[in-house]
Amino acid sequence: MALQEIWNGTISFSLVAIPVKLVRAVEAGRVSFRKLHSKDYSPLARKMYCPKEETIVPADEIVRGYEIAPDKYIVITDKELESVSPERSRTIEIIEFIDIKDVDPVYYDHPYYLVPSKGGEKAYRLLVEVLDRTHKAGLAKFVLREREYLVAVKSTDGALALITLHYSGEILPDEDLVPKEEKAESEEKSRMKKIIKKMTADFHPDKYADERRKKITKLLEKKAKKQGTVEAPEIEEEVEEGVVDLVAVLEESMRKVKEHK
Amino acid sequence: MNRKVVEAAGKRLSLSNLKKDLYPSYGFTKAQVLDYYRKIADFILPHLKDRALTLKRYPDGTEKDYFFEKRCPVHRPAWVKTAEVHHKEVRLTACLVNDLETLIWVENLASLELHVPLARAGSPKTPDSIVFDLDPGDKADILDCSKVAMILRDLLSQMKLASYLKTSGKKGLHVYVPLNRKEATFEETKKFSKAVAEVLQRNYPELVTAKMTKEERTKRVFINWSQNDPSKTMICVYSLRAGEKPVVSFPLEWEELEMLAKKGDPKKFRILHSEAVSRLEKKGDLFRELLTKKQKLPLGSSDTLR
Amino acid sequence: MLGRTLWKGYIQFSDINVPVKLHTAVQQDRIQFHLLHKRDHVKLHQQMICAYEKVPVPPEEQAKGFELEDRKYILVDPAELEQADPKDGRMIEVHEFVKAGEIAPVFFERMYYLEPDTTVKEYSALAGALKETGAAGICTWTMRRRSYLGALQINGKVLCLSTLRYADEVVQAKALELQKAPLSEKELKIARDLIDQLSAPFQPEKFKNEHHKKLQDLIDKKARGEKIVLLRPRHLKPTAPDKLLEALKASMKKVA
Repeated sequence: MALQEIWNGTISFSLVAIPVKLVRAVEAGRVSFRKLHSKDYSPLARKMYCPKEETIVPADEIVRGYEIAPDKYIVITDKELESVSPERSRTIEIIEFIDIKDVDPVYYDHPYYLVPSKGGEKAYRLLVEVLDRTHKAGLAKFVLREREYLVAVKSTDGALALITLHYSGEILPDEDLVPKEEKAESEEKSRMKKIIKKMTADFHPDKYADERRKKITKLLEKKAKKQGTVEAPEIEEEVEEGVVDLVAVLEESMRKVKEHK
Repeated sequence: MNRKVVEAAGKRLSLSNLKKDLYPSYGFTKAQVLDYYRKIADFILPHLKDRALTLKRYPDGTEKDYFFEKRCPVHRPAWVKTAEVHHKEVRLTACLVNDLETLIWVENLASLELHVPLARAGSPKTPDSIVFDLDPGDKADILDCSKVAMILRDLLSQMKLASYLKTSGKKGLHVYVPLNRKEATFEETKKFSKAVAEVLQRNYPELVTAKMTKEERTKRVFINWSQNDPSKTMICVYSLRAGEKPVVSFPLEWEELEMLAKKGDPKKFRILHSEAVSRLEKKGDLFRELLTKKQKLPLGSSDTLR
Repeated sequence: MLGRTLWKGYIQFSDINVPVKLHTAVQQDRIQFHLLHKRDHVKLHQQMICAYEKVPVPPEEQAKGFELEDRKYILVDPAELEQADPKDGRMIEVHEFVKAGEIAPVFFERMYYLEPDTTVKEYSALAGALKETGAAGICTWTMRRRSYLGALQINGKVLCLSTLRYADEVVQAKALELQKAPLSEKELKIARDLIDQLSAPFQPEKFKNEHHKKLQDLIDKKARGEKIVLLRPRHLKPTAPDKLLEALKASMKKVA
């Protein structure tokens, strides 16, 4: 299946370099809703909007700016951004390997997958296989657009998963959270342990997704019956213009067709 | 017998409600629907193959409620092939009708109409063909569509593009241009088809519109170019349509269209299930070129159309 | 230093009730860019635009719908959707416990610290019990009109609550349709030795966001009107499949 590529480059450990692409590991769930305009039931789309000209701004008219004074910006281009850490913008260099169990979940930020690009399949498979056997993960830093990420690369069901991690400086201290004086009453604690053991099962996340989906589907069925659907107006889709020569060719062909008639 | 277990290619299938009349005012039961699809299976399967199917199910017949299903029902047999596809922003598992047993299973779900995208599930961004969906507005009919179709054919052939025609099985006609090169993207085919529609509109303003609004469509034929989109589907050639009668979306040769246009009777465009079967036996698949013929979008479509 | 309390509730399972307060656990420090209109550098805003009228739609004119078929929607009231989810209220309901390590990282979304509320006794008992059993509680709750699936875990002495993604939001590795490639035992063994050689304990403090300062420097330079020298990003040459063993051996020599 073709997943949208977010980034491409190489992942390396020591002298081995593997060409890879970065793709999403998280997507909208199976029951997903659209935002609609309550007036005409037309779907809404998130767009960048210029408040001064009151127009929607297309991607090629957008630049990235840093505010140095109120309403005063320094424009930074993609090339300049890539140039900030040139050694990390196209390379994920694994610096060391760690035990994935040692990473506290508080560090997890966002998951992705790496997939091999052409020619990288074998080395990719090797890294997957060895990480799987050793339960290890590679640590690396790499730069994507305006941020530098600390990432862990681990093996998941035959694929390389890349998880961006928070820097330790971003994790807030938790010392003041729990007052020290009170010792856990061992009686209450062992009672809880008993209950926990009784309630322990394997982790089956789909069970919760299915249940939620079932409930929402049921609600939707009921609503579909009771109130029916609303219909959005048909939309004239926008296709960018600027196909002058094609139009010229078409008009010329059209003229010939008419001549033959 | 209202329920029957059959075997197809060694796979067991339990068929249900066989006596249910799915076209009640005409009289055409589910058993007959299954029989139709079984007879034409060899012809329709290549056109369904590896395309994410949208089911349009009529469990209580064509006069009652229907529902669209883009997801492959979860209670499917294990041998039904599926593909993970993206529809707009949502990821879903769709059925692939690649063999007779899946076709029969899908029809047992009363999916009278089979709708498929222009691209295969493995290459969702590059359509195998361009389609011009000719849709008559109020006070226009299929005869007007025929006129537009012939102009379109001539225009396309000026650009060295062969085109193929089928009835929609309802009121319109579909003109296809095979590409089969996995080069042009939907973005490009959509731009091309829109430009073509607009040129036709400019040259035949009384007959053609490229605009969707209802008022514009009155007395005119709307060339729906926006079907050239990854999220859109077309009724598959040889699929039944849900209507009063079991009419089929069926290919016509251009000569036949010229004849039908001369005769001037819209009803003659309607090809019923039995005629579809006998025509297929006689002439074979008139749409086979659609799957094999390689053609290029004209004029550096991939360079200048970007 | 603790952030402010985000939400208050109580953890509930069997006949156990533990009142807690939620706090942010992570604070990201990042250089904030704005998106500007190229020609006049006016700051752009993200807006919900009506596909039909092409105008921005304010929140009070927004509705939620489920697309049944092309252009046909079932309108849904967000409050109704909540009913399909965990009960509204203050309850973090633990449904079951799993081994803490069993939850794959891909499920974790965001973590909160839990602080004991009103009484410490129950909190400490639960913290101790989770620590000694190595368990994590799978729970659901509703907070700020949104429902969550989550994991209750112990981290040091502190109870933590992570929101989890639903399974159907997570792309399965098999959807990537990766091809198998044959590997020799030799390649596997050297790669394994190499990884062992390069292994270290996880010490996140070692890693600083060096990019942050460099980016700030770039901005300052541009602000002063200095010329920016563009550097080409480093591209590594991929190791060819038939050179893999060689590269592994050379690596081994380098680290040994």
